[in-house]
Amino acid sequence: MSSLAQPADGTDRPHRSEPVTTVGRATDEFPPEASVWPADLSRRDFLQVMAASIALAELSGCNRPPSKTIVPYVTAPERALADGPVYYATAMSWEGYGRGLLARSNSGRPTKLDGNPAHPESLGATDAITQAAVLSLYDPDRSKTPRYHGAPIDWAEFQEQWLTEHARLQANHGAGFAVLTEPTTSPTVTRMIHRLLDRFPSARWYQHTPLARYDRDGRQDDYDFTRADVILAIEADFLLQHPASLRYTRAFSGRRRIENGRVNANRLYVIEAGPTLTGSMADHRLPASPHHARRLLAAIENALDHRPIGNDLSAVEQRTVEALAADLQAKAPNVVCVAGVECDDDIRAWADAINVRLHADGVTWHSLPSVRSDPDRRCAGDLAAAVRAIHDGQIRTLIIAGCNPAYTAPADLQFATALEKVPLRIHLGTHVDETAVACDWHIPESHFLECWSDVRAYDGTASIIQPLISPLYASRSLEELLSFLNEPPGRDGYDLVRETWQANRPSADFEQTWNGWLNTGLVDGTQNSRSKPSPPARAVGLQTSTSAPAVTVLIRPDPTIRDGRWANNGWLQELPKQNSQMVWDNAMYVSLAFAERENLTNGDEVELRRGSDRLRAPAWIAPGLAADCVVIHLGYGRTRAGRVGDNRGFDAYRFRRSHRLWSDDLDHVAPAHGHGWLVSTQTHFTMEGRDIVRTASAADPAHTAGLRPRTEPSLYPDWSYPSYRWAMLIDLGTCIGCKACVLACQAENNIPVVGKDQVARGREMHWIRVDRYFEGDPQNPQVLHQPVPCMQCETAPCELVCPVAATVHSSEGLNDMVYNRCVGTRYCSNNCPYKVRRFNFLNFQPPKDSPLYLQKNPDVTVRARGVMEKCTYCVQRIDAGRITAEKANRRVRDGEIRTACQDACPAEAIVFGDLSDPQSLVSRRKREPTEYALLEELNTRPRTTYLARLRNQNPALVGHEVPVRPNDTTNHAARGPVRSYLAAPDA
Amino acid sequence: MPNDPSPNPEQPPSGIPLFRPRATTVFRVVLLGIVLCIASTGYAVLQYYYSPYWNGIGYRRSQPVMFSHRHHAGELHIDCRYCHATVETSAFAGMPSTSTCLTCHSQIFTDTPMLRPVVLSSTRAEPLHWTRVTALPDHVYFNHSIHIAKGVGCTTCHGQVGDMPLMAKAEPMSMRWCISCHRDPAPNLRPASEIFAATWTPPSDQVERGRALERALHIDTTHLTNCSTCHH
Repeated sequence: MSSLAQPADGTDRPHRSEPVTTVGRATDEFPPEASVWPADLSRRDFLQVMAASIALAELSGCNRPPSKTIVPYVTAPERALADGPVYYATAMSWEGYGRGLLARSNSGRPTKLDGNPAHPESLGATDAITQAAVLSLYDPDRSKTPRYHGAPIDWAEFQEQWLTEHARLQANHGAGFAVLTEPTTSPTVTRMIHRLLDRFPSARWYQHTPLARYDRDGRQDDYDFTRADVILAIEADFLLQHPASLRYTRAFSGRRRIENGRVNANRLYVIEAGPTLTGSMADHRLPASPHHARRLLAAIENALDHRPIGNDLSAVEQRTVEALAADLQAKAPNVVCVAGVECDDDIRAWADAINVRLHADGVTWHSLPSVRSDPDRRCAGDLAAAVRAIHDGQIRTLIIAGCNPAYTAPADLQFATALEKVPLRIHLGTHVDETAVACDWHIPESHFLECWSDVRAYDGTASIIQPLISPLYASRSLEELLSFLNEPPGRDGYDLVRETWQANRPSADFEQTWNGWLNTGLVDGTQNSRSKPSPPARAVGLQTSTSAPAVTVLIRPDPTIRDGRWANNGWLQELPKQNSQMVWDNAMYVSLAFAERENLTNGDEVELRRGSDRLRAPAWIAPGLAADCVVIHLGYGRTRAGRVGDNRGFDAYRFRRSHRLWSDDLDHVAPAHGHGWLVSTQTHFTMEGRDIVRTASAADPAHTAGLRPRTEPSLYPDWSYPSYRWAMLIDLGTCIGCKACVLACQAENNIPVVGKDQVARGREMHWIRVDRYFEGDPQNPQVLHQPVPCMQCETAPCELVCPVAATVHSSEGLNDMVYNRCVGTRYCSNNCPYKVRRFNFLNFQPPKDSPLYLQKNPDVTVRARGVMEKCTYCVQRIDAGRITAEKANRRVRDGEIRTACQDACPAEAIVFGDLSDPQSLVSRRKREPTEYALLEELNTRPRTTYLARLRNQNPALVGHEVPVRPNDTTNHAARGPVRSYLAAPDA
Repeated sequence: MPNDPSPNPEQPPSGIPLFRPRATTVFRVVLLGIVLCIASTGYAVLQYYYSPYWNGIGYRRSQPVMFSHRHHAGELHIDCRYCHATVETSAFAGMPSTSTCLTCHSQIFTDTPMLRPVVLSSTRAEPLHWTRVTALPDHVYFNHSIHIAKGVGCTTCHGQVGDMPLMAKAEPMSMRWCISCHRDPAPNLRPASEIFAATWTPPSDQVERGRALERALHIDTTHLTNCSTCHH
């Protein structure tokens, strides 16, 4: 039996120990406490250790608990009296663009980030990266002190050095002085850079980002998905990888929410090479390499013109293109064509032309002024321009602030070599990273939760970033460093940000205005108004060529760690990648067709060749990937990220060329001899004929057969619930599978990170997981996402088998988990059909003196080794909400208690509430006709139920596709490695 | 020699009993003795476990300042909430900052040796390190505010504070003790006016009054014995 075909719960997956070649296997991944029992322990040693342990245990048992101390304030600060959590409105930057946050502070420690409901680009929701950002504040590997050639120094020493340099630069008007930053939306940072350029007129400012630019000619595209009936997305992952993705997800999912049995659903067509999250939501998806996509687009245009669409397409493609064109024309102008920012310019221009042609401009397609500094006139250029200037000897003093070009520069720029030519190099960064070690001076950069700043969202809404904690280390913010460089000793970030806004909004009562901004988390009146895009010239036709390259490699940011900046964040590393469920690594994603042809299995190494360039990495089979494409993700292969992120995966930047950033044509791709060690949390992707994820047709959801939960007689006694009956509903119709819920739960419930090796043993600890299933044609499957938390069964199998009553039924219907009673028999986990219980096989928590401990939620027990744990509907929030209500002598109001996963969800797919109130939102949603219970045939009567996945297929295309009945596994029975991928051979 | 069927030649000669008649009695007494021994040891361990000594009841821990609750709360009638300010609003009752002490003691008894640590704390800006008198294990989540709101007075758990020159633990704070009240809170409920009384004795008709209060305060005991009420 192939190890790929193990059960999805993975409780007893074997440990794959193939030789490791490209992907190095870190041996020092965990603290020594976490190591398993040493293999060379002799019997004699064992007895000695046991005897000592017993003796110590008896000694400690003879004493009363040690006395603890209480240390009150000398003078209590404002708000110290509130012992409970305090929430502050702040914001963070997502590739420069702002996302409004409500940050929770427990006793002065920021512990959790959630979306600010008042912020138009967050709408109260978050993505996984936002949830994980709080962990980076406490990263033990953060840079803690300024350094000179690697040796820790005082800030004063740097100041002294800079004063000399400053005098020299002032004398020659900044000749040879250059600053390299990331593009920013911060008005204060921009102001400080401009002031620096004012003082040193000959100085230059360069901007570098390894990721996409979201503006074209100083304008940003914006889409109104609430009005779009038909959406055509071309290489556009607007649901996950876009600065406005939270707003787009809310709008997109809002059109897929079934209400009172009806839904006016949008229809999503996707043309893309690699599988993306947006592609997984498609009603019709055509996998196509960038070259083939051009043919498809040309065919669509022909079909719109009622011309013959050409015969270079497959039958399925021809039918889909015709149906799509008819759909677009029928629904115009409520249609939209979205081309991704990674697309070539002519494809984006084609999308513009189609939008204009279908009169979607000003309806669903809008234009916003650019808010990021990419098109800033005072910027001297990008990284390539900087490298040219270095080679020309025009840069003698280089400040690299807040970016890591030594790692993220495309290989052909040879930035590291160029950097050595600069006589004085100064770096500001949160870590002593690849760039820091290549610079003379390194200054630690503050985390956004410990410094003052400001940021603007995609739609222009400005937010003041206010700190929740003083800097943990001797760090400076970017503003403060720029101020220091300009006029040492520089000024405080608070004064700088206030100065910006005081000049921006002069008012007699600035203090009140300012406090209002801090209170609401946004600066009123800064939101840009949308305008109708200026009509582009009619597309001159896409450049299509008949000769396609052997293979096209697509280079994309990693879905979790992006360009590598989050590489040292354990939560993001251990979050299963949204499309592959892989953790802790990147891989060479290859198509099923390629894997079949070359007889590859996951982990077999593949080599890409382009001229003399070589890239060798383990392969991962991605069903739905276009046959002649390979996808690689940036962000891995780092050498100076920290203990979590170092030496994982491979460095895709080394294969990137500055003029082909997002896709490149290759001569050759072939299997290499070798096998890498890749780990995934879900290795079994078929539903085995069970209705695990059910689908309903959007046209007639009410009559989708067999969906209502049946209640069968049970031998268990019925429970009586005198008061609340807590319940949850997860709407698979709106869920996009972004996994923000997974990390929200991790942050709220003190869930540990276990590491790649432990995940390989099936010991990941996420209380809510997002399962993914493939359905239909393995070459282009329909992807189904399903978040699975504890179901809180009425007739819970776990409760009966616990010998110590550590998991018991509460009077409100929860399966309470009592950690202090648990002795770790794991019977409950064995008996759980949903496999949602997690066991602490080792002490996975960080050492007590680690700064990571500061992130822990004080309202949730930190579990020790040998204890079972699971989702309890955030029972600490239920208790807090009930206490608030009972103090006011009332019942808990509907919506007053929200679980962490519900708070995070951008699609509002998770609803929690009281089932005993028939008017509560969860009761009303559970009355929808598409409601069903997972594995209801087991009669566990779960409190958590689902609404079926909605599918809004074009009627003209139904019946022509590969049959996609869930009970039909025959079409999964492909050959060779594919079989192990999609179906269990033994089943 | 397993294959040898012949009887053992060294069997004692017949007529001499192996056990004398007394042996049965001795055996029974010894057996009873063992059982009694185990039972009494167990009983003793349990008694020790429930004893005030083991639970630290009445045990006065050394404190940086010899603060007298009897003087401040009992004699001067300073309200509990003057120092424990968050008891009505949050889980933690709150400990007074040094500046709270100094609201009075910047004026009175400023130079007494007993107050010296407080004065030093203020001048050196170093907090006082009080020793905890009542501590719950980390896996127990206790919320002061809801108990205050539902008619449980301070002295119910903390003892007759107004009579304590130095603070001592008054109740075992064991789960058994907690849950006895969660099962039936009526004997411990008192009217809002009496919550912060520094000394309080229940009236003779406490059970009836408690029942009335339970209804008036909408105390629903069904969820109070759920594990997740205190453990999460």
